[in-house]
Amino acid sequence: MQTNPSTPDTELQADNLRRAAIDKSVKGPVLFLFTNGAFWLMLSTILGVLSAIKLVEPGFLDGCPYITYGRLQPAHINALVYGWGLQAALGVMLWIMARRSGQELKTGKSLMITAGVFWNITITIGILAILMGKSTSIEWLEMPKFVWPVLLVCFLCFAWPIARMFGRAFRPEGFMVSTWYILGACFWFTWIFITANVTLHCLPNLGALGAGIDAWYIHGVILLFFVPVGVGSAYYFIPKITGQPIASAQLASAGFWTLAVLGGWTGMQKYMGGPLPAWMSAVGACAGVLLLIPVGLVGLNHHLTTIGKHNAVAASPTLRFVFFGALFYPISGLVLALNSAFWTGASLQFTQSWYSFQMVSVYGFFSMSVFGAIYYIVPRLSGCEWLSVRLIRNHFWFSVYGVGTIVIMSLVAGLQQGADLNDPGHWDQSFMNHVINSRPYVVSRAVAWALISFSNFMFLFHLLLMVAGLGRRSTAPTLLHREHDEHALPAHA
Amino acid sequence: MSAPANPDSTDLDRLHAAVKREKEDLAPESQPAPLWAIFLLMLVAIVAGGQIGQMTGGWSFDVSNPFSVAGTGGDPRPGGGAAGDALDPFALAMKKGASGYSVCGGCHQGNGAGIPGQFPPLAGSEWVNGGTERLIRVVQHGLTGPITVKGAGFNTPGGMMPFGAAMSSQDLANVLTFVRNSWGNEGTMVTKEMVQKVRDEEKRATQWTAADLEPFAEKNVPGDIPAGPGATAAAAPAPAAK
Repeated sequence: MQTNPSTPDTELQADNLRRAAIDKSVKGPVLFLFTNGAFWLMLSTILGVLSAIKLVEPGFLDGCPYITYGRLQPAHINALVYGWGLQAALGVMLWIMARRSGQELKTGKSLMITAGVFWNITITIGILAILMGKSTSIEWLEMPKFVWPVLLVCFLCFAWPIARMFGRAFRPEGFMVSTWYILGACFWFTWIFITANVTLHCLPNLGALGAGIDAWYIHGVILLFFVPVGVGSAYYFIPKITGQPIASAQLASAGFWTLAVLGGWTGMQKYMGGPLPAWMSAVGACAGVLLLIPVGLVGLNHHLTTIGKHNAVAASPTLRFVFFGALFYPISGLVLALNSAFWTGASLQFTQSWYSFQMVSVYGFFSMSVFGAIYYIVPRLSGCEWLSVRLIRNHFWFSVYGVGTIVIMSLVAGLQQGADLNDPGHWDQSFMNHVINSRPYVVSRAVAWALISFSNFMFLFHLLLMVAGLGRRSTAPTLLHREHDEHALPAHA
Repeated sequence: MSAPANPDSTDLDRLHAAVKREKEDLAPESQPAPLWAIFLLMLVAIVAGGQIGQMTGGWSFDVSNPFSVAGTGGDPRPGGGAAGDALDPFALAMKKGASGYSVCGGCHQGNGAGIPGQFPPLAGSEWVNGGTERLIRVVQHGLTGPITVKGAGFNTPGGMMPFGAAMSSQDLANVLTFVRNSWGNEGTMVTKEMVQKVRDEEKRATQWTAADLEPFAEKNVPGDIPAGPGATAAAAPAPAAK
């Protein structure tokens, strides 16, 4: 929608200025979150390489207690989830909600920056504590107890203004399609986070149920926080860049409400056949399979929206990342269903396929979507264009191949481990033999994390240049595949 | 987070270029969903329903086994708690002994006939059907040297290895009860207490010889036998060993 200076369209000019003002109002907090998130992502991927190496070669860097596998792996996951995931998600949520609601961020900016600083300091202390052996041993909640109230307060400092923006907004038809996911994420994370921490840290003698609550928490954070943010940004950016309206408002609505209803019921199936009341696992397994419905509805809607318009994916960096993120969403649903159903879960339980599910949702789906959002948002906030097509292209391909390798290899490793452990013919094999058999898969995991580390190094470097205002000075967006018929392409990105 | 002092930071057209080239927000359409997708989702719902059908343990907080069915006591494994509770002590010992016998069957064969000239038979053997004291001692500590069974001489190199250290008293008693009541053999049940009594009395580390055991040939280890078919002799037809 280029403006023509010879025939000034005052209404459009006013709208442009309004959007520019909104961007300017959220610039500080959003860039702060993205930059710090990218640093944590860098650290997390390096820890991922190290912990995969330690799983293959336990003697690697022997004698240093800080980098044993039992400390590296939780540090890697916590840096990924709380350092990168939550910060990047909050940045995207804040920007999309401000834009969709047409509200400038008037007050609370300095409170947000303060909360962001506290968030990062707290996580730094928490992850150092894990590396020094003070882990709580509760998966995804390994950081010491005192960390959680601080994180909750910091999260609310962002979530509350976002919810207020929604409340004040004028809501035209179709307003909800992406914003209700963002609003939902604000409330759901708060609910899940408080519930899990209060039960796990304050109630004594939980026994086996504590493990079940922890599995519920992990599934909840993925399905009711990371997934809504990813889906919400896909629903925002796909029509925005392709210029195609979302195919079906009804499918969007059904996809949202089925996710909202089902997301909180799953998790305990991780301990199917374990010392929990059987109905808890059964309900979790049922919900885990039923979640294919919201996944399928969203996937179908994206398919109907983008069918026949895939050429824009080649050109726009944002669309490319968001599109591939959206492709990973159905895959994450399938991996969840495979892990959840009793039929396949009996083999996949307690194997590497659990890691496959975490990575396909947190990295393959959520992070790829958020990368796309960042490629769209940052030029509007920093006032310059992305510097290098090559850096973006490398970031994309190394990420796609890296996370694809991790997801597929972990799933196949899980199938093999599970089948071997359940095979009566293997009764005379020691557990160590099974561990050694899965080594090739872990080697590929280490290589994949190294590829991703490399891609994130380029991403971080590029982002820092942009934040410092050293990007390209141009009115044209940075597009991949510029050599293609430039005049036929719409001006997107 | 203040903007750097770029020389061209006053170029408003360029600074707002990204905003100006944006497309407007579009309201979603209402395209129909294809029918095959709806069928696929129904299929998903059916598979999901299968996860709660029988797997819920009757929605009870006390049942943690997803495969539990009312009336079996919650343990579906063959020979597991539920199946065992339903059997009398003799039938249970026969059932468990039949599976324990797979260790013995390697030499004595599944039909208890042994191999002529190599391994003595158990079916109709006076060593099996005679006193329980001698039988328990043979299996507990092993036996070596020449031996005569059913009129035929055997002298297997190495003899029979001791099984006492590798099996619990209960497992040993089950196997002996099975051996004494299969292939036409009929004898009293051997109980866990009897095996334990012999174990407590005799701590030898070497195998027996046939001559050593002669004094025990007709002695039965005293002990209570649960009332039922095993108290005197087998009444039930013996199941075939695997």
